[in-house]
Amino acid sequence: MKDSNADGFGVQSRRTFFKSVGTAAVTAATASAQSVAAELEKANAEKIVGPGTVPVTLEVNGVPLRLQLEPRVTLLDALRNYSSLTGAKDGCDRAACGACTVLLDNVPVYSCQKLAIEAQGHAITTVEGLAKNGELSDLQKAFVEKDASMCGYCTPGFVMSLTALFKKNPHPTAAEIRHACAGNICRCGTQPHIMRAALQMVGATGAGPTTEVIHA
Amino acid sequence: MNAFQYTTALSTDSARQLAADNGAYLAGGNDLLGRLKEYLDSPKILVNIKSIAGLDRITAGSRVWTIGALVTVAQIETHPEIRAVFPGLHQAAAEVGSPQIRNVATVGGNLAQHSRCWYYRHRDTVCLKKGGDLCYARHSENRYHCLFTGNTCISPVVSNLSIALTALDAKVILLREGKETRMTVPELYQKAWDNPTAHNSLNPGDLIVKVEIPVGRTRSAFLQVSDKHAFDWALVSCAAAARVNGGKLSRARVALGCISPMPHQSAAANEFLEGKPLDEPTVAHAADLILQGAQPLAFNGYKVPLARTLIRRALLSLKG
Amino acid sequence: MPSWPAETKYISHSTLRVDAPAKVSGRARYSSDIQAEGWLYGMILRSKWPAARIAKINLENALQIPGIKAALAVKEGESIVRFYGEELAAVAGTTKQACLDALRAIEVEAKALPFVVKENDARAEDAPRVWPNSANAGEGKPKEQGSVDQAFSECAAVIEGFYTTPVQLHHPMETHGCTVSWTDEGVTAWASTQGISSVRDGLAGGLQLEQSKVRVITEYMGGGFGSKFGAGVEGLMAARLSRAAKAPVRLMLTRFDQALAVGNRPSSFQKIKLGAKADGTLHAFELDNYGTAGIGGGSSEGGGGDVAIPAPYIYKVPNTRVKHTSVAVNAGSARAFRAPSNPPASFGMESAMDDLAVKLGMDPVELRLKNDPSAVRRREYDLGAERFGWKQKYQKPGSSAGPVKIGVGCAGATWWGGGTKRTQGEAEIHPDGGIEVRLGVQDLGTGTRTVIAVVAAEILGLKPEQITVKIGDTHYPPGPGSGGSTTCPSISPTVFDVCTQALQQLQAQTGVPDARGDNWPAACKKLGTSPLVVHGQWQEGLSSGGAGGVQFAEAAVDTETGQVTVNRILCVQDCGLIVNQITLESQVNGGIIMGLGYALYEERVMDHLSGVVLNPNFETYKLPGMADIPQIDIVLLNMPERGVIGVGEPVTIPTAAAIGNAVANALGVRVSSLPITPAKVLAALGKVPPPTAKPA
Repeated sequence: MKDSNADGFGVQSRRTFFKSVGTAAVTAATASAQSVAAELEKANAEKIVGPGTVPVTLEVNGVPLRLQLEPRVTLLDALRNYSSLTGAKDGCDRAACGACTVLLDNVPVYSCQKLAIEAQGHAITTVEGLAKNGELSDLQKAFVEKDASMCGYCTPGFVMSLTALFKKNPHPTAAEIRHACAGNICRCGTQPHIMRAALQMVGATGAGPTTEVIHA
Repeated sequence: MNAFQYTTALSTDSARQLAADNGAYLAGGNDLLGRLKEYLDSPKILVNIKSIAGLDRITAGSRVWTIGALVTVAQIETHPEIRAVFPGLHQAAAEVGSPQIRNVATVGGNLAQHSRCWYYRHRDTVCLKKGGDLCYARHSENRYHCLFTGNTCISPVVSNLSIALTALDAKVILLREGKETRMTVPELYQKAWDNPTAHNSLNPGDLIVKVEIPVGRTRSAFLQVSDKHAFDWALVSCAAAARVNGGKLSRARVALGCISPMPHQSAAANEFLEGKPLDEPTVAHAADLILQGAQPLAFNGYKVPLARTLIRRALLSLKG
Repeated sequence: MPSWPAETKYISHSTLRVDAPAKVSGRARYSSDIQAEGWLYGMILRSKWPAARIAKINLENALQIPGIKAALAVKEGESIVRFYGEELAAVAGTTKQACLDALRAIEVEAKALPFVVKENDARAEDAPRVWPNSANAGEGKPKEQGSVDQAFSECAAVIEGFYTTPVQLHHPMETHGCTVSWTDEGVTAWASTQGISSVRDGLAGGLQLEQSKVRVITEYMGGGFGSKFGAGVEGLMAARLSRAAKAPVRLMLTRFDQALAVGNRPSSFQKIKLGAKADGTLHAFELDNYGTAGIGGGSSEGGGGDVAIPAPYIYKVPNTRVKHTSVAVNAGSARAFRAPSNPPASFGMESAMDDLAVKLGMDPVELRLKNDPSAVRRREYDLGAERFGWKQKYQKPGSSAGPVKIGVGCAGATWWGGGTKRTQGEAEIHPDGGIEVRLGVQDLGTGTRTVIAVVAAEILGLKPEQITVKIGDTHYPPGPGSGGSTTCPSISPTVFDVCTQALQQLQAQTGVPDARGDNWPAACKKLGTSPLVVHGQWQEGLSSGGAGGVQFAEAAVDTETGQVTVNRILCVQDCGLIVNQITLESQVNGGIIMGLGYALYEERVMDHLSGVVLNPNFETYKLPGMADIPQIDIVLLNMPERGVIGVGEPVTIPTAAAIGNAVANALGVRVSSLPITPAKVLAALGKVPPPTAKPA
């Protein structure tokens, strides 16, 4: 339904808004919130739990992880210390470095600043969940081919941020790639090669920084 | 973090009740969990408010847009109509933190966030804002601090959305003891201007539920400059909004962030801009008025020329 | 004398990093990922006083916290702490939460003592003393050569400047720490370290165990940059906790801790006077430098935390007077940090050179060509200037039009490096054709594993992926600590020797004249049931030390906001024999990006009122992000005749100097203090009003 007014701005219905934005992330987020709400309603919503440990079930890489956790345990802590999924790294524990980046319903978040208990009901993807049947994803392969890892500690975080980007937009510009990586820090200096790996994904291999070898 | 209880509220009433005894609302969690990790706060219970229906909608209107408090900063950044109708709000959202932060940060949380002053945030300095005796920044490292303040604390407001929404003359609607209360954005921060221990005008239990943005100002902009090119708090930020007809401004508002505990405006400047041509002499004079009374400290004087530049660039960009 | 083959299939080409798949898939296990059976979480309690007499540490309440299995004080009895963050005690428990609660339950009886944390405050006569029996500022005597005062009077042009660099923090992405298990059998430690032997020796010494009873393993580690040598307080405490709790303890530092207690690069405050003859020949140089290494370089792990800097750096000036003063403050002590002393030395000297060039009206590259004693670097300046377009880009300072001013600058580097003679290695050849090459060396992200695979493959005529590389275990033959850019020149000749000997012995034992390449599987089969293990070591003639390197920078400075954008860096680096190009390129990028951070963003900030580190996080200790990275063009000089030379450090030395010079060239006025922030640019342009408000 569309109205218009004197200023020429349309009134948009929710449906047309979703259409124009691209439904995936928004409907997923809304649907997740709705499904969390629905689940909780069923299960005696508004129940107070903690501060001692409570059962927390996390859906990680499609597999349920059944844990017993205090409410104050972060999602990062749950993954690294209560399961064997140590791919997400603890770089700062303060939502500033991105080494802990995981996907929550396909959207990158800092797992260090998310409580495990509130991550229930969402699809969590970690770096361990990207390879299919032991084969690295295209992005992971690009990282290998362009030498986009050095010590490797920041690598899972960058891989998750870029995986989310390419899921949403298979043909990002260089600026969009940089924007997607803004929340990830690397101290070894892999950023130029990460750009190369991401640009390889969109078939842009030509321009950019150069290395020349002169044989003395 | 100290241990806490946890619950998920399904309505604003139950949220308030559940949080009544030393509770905190959990939305995005960026600010809250950061504070808990440094033991700045130790709520007894965290009340997850993300399942409360109806707070996450963006509703366009012919006169007013309504944005729910649970709408994420990422949703604002990527909303194509917001980009067209309120470009300043889009730009402000796009510069908040990093993608990971924007994906969970909410409008309400961004507005309600506590001070980022490094003395306030440090676990071992009991500054004035935390109930101590001393504003350390005044006598020590104040490069990120206020040019204006109504009290001894010099910690500035840093919420990007607050600055853009101030320029757009938005209203913040919150529930106070269950009743709807409306504030302008400056009113939301007035208490921080007056009171060194306040971050904003919210009382415990208050819950921001939405913001309403009048459509009247057809042009808007937001700019910030930081040390780094991305994912860095603004040194100074500036939002401008106005109608521009035949090169002349009307209903102009200019607001500055990071230089005062509240979004900094000058009524004299806003009045001066009415009907003026959008040109260099106009914006220069407006900047003079806006920065009148600035009190640079030992290490933040650079914010004065920086603010001048941002005022000038933000206003001139309204030309389109 | 052995020598590298002239024609190579892998050496000097690009082999993909052999551990990249493990890193991109999350399979790589770092010390912070180790989940030993029954492991406990460990955590350290730190002093919140910058100086205090600690009378008593009461651990009783901490031990009562559910889940806590051990709690220990770092020192018994009374002690003095001398910096905010100094270690007091540690706990081990079943969860992070239990440990956090336990730390808060520890009661510390302390009497706060006077303290001083800023260099200029510490130099004052009446400043509180960091150490009771010595002044904060050392009594450095100037070193003289020639007749400096006379020489200055003979100069056609003299400049004076005051150039300063901050305390810089290493901040590797993986924090310091380890997982340690101390049982009756001995100690096993999975350490995040640059030197497994140094950890082994530190643990053995500190715990009074035989070295043979201590094993250190580092399969993957998340960066070090010089700060990760030795067991550290964290290593010793983890071991002691493990003993007390009878379980392995994983004790990793927090990012907060990293800013306080595990090393830093000393600051520098360099008053430089530099004079030249009319034709640009340097004639006189004077440096009065002071800086802080925290409470003192004496307690820095692994050395290299000195305030003294090489001066006049890469130049030979006939008349010099140089003085260094180390100023103690109540802050964590310095440790070796990527090219110790060289980045500040380069910044001061190369800034002075550009200031002198301006005074002489000379092109800065010309001034360097006139005075740089290194033929290699002179060649690099010529090459670099041409590739960079220097002649077209270099304009008089401050002359570019518009509010965003563009400028260019350059600077040079020198480094020692060289290989460690005592490096050893072994190869085990299996009858099924598999080959393991084992060295007790670690890979910091520098590509060590790949270098080993490349050299082995080259010598044996195999493919790098056929080589199973095993590193990072003190059970393997001892390798070098990874510092000083010595790893590659240490391990490459060693692997060369190991594989050369392995090949010879394989051929001798099996009677196969040439077992390389396609002949390999059949030759190995002839080993029957016994694998062949061959030991080898570093050999002379395959590596050397001494690298140069020059960098050019182009910067755009917005004179209305003060923000600096580095558009481009061009690096010309002599590499000796390039072992593996693609991983070397990453090292170059890494060094430059670290130099960029030093130039524009990084600074440890101390608060003089409370004595704390004010920016113990990544929010306000700023590292370059993706949006800050310039275009980095690299020219590598492959010089096989010099053998393998390490370049991890030279590539980070001149970057900040080149950027500083580019900014000065853009503005026509210099910001002589790092980091070059918008605040400092606006101040240099005279745009910043003085303070008006009096502190309330």
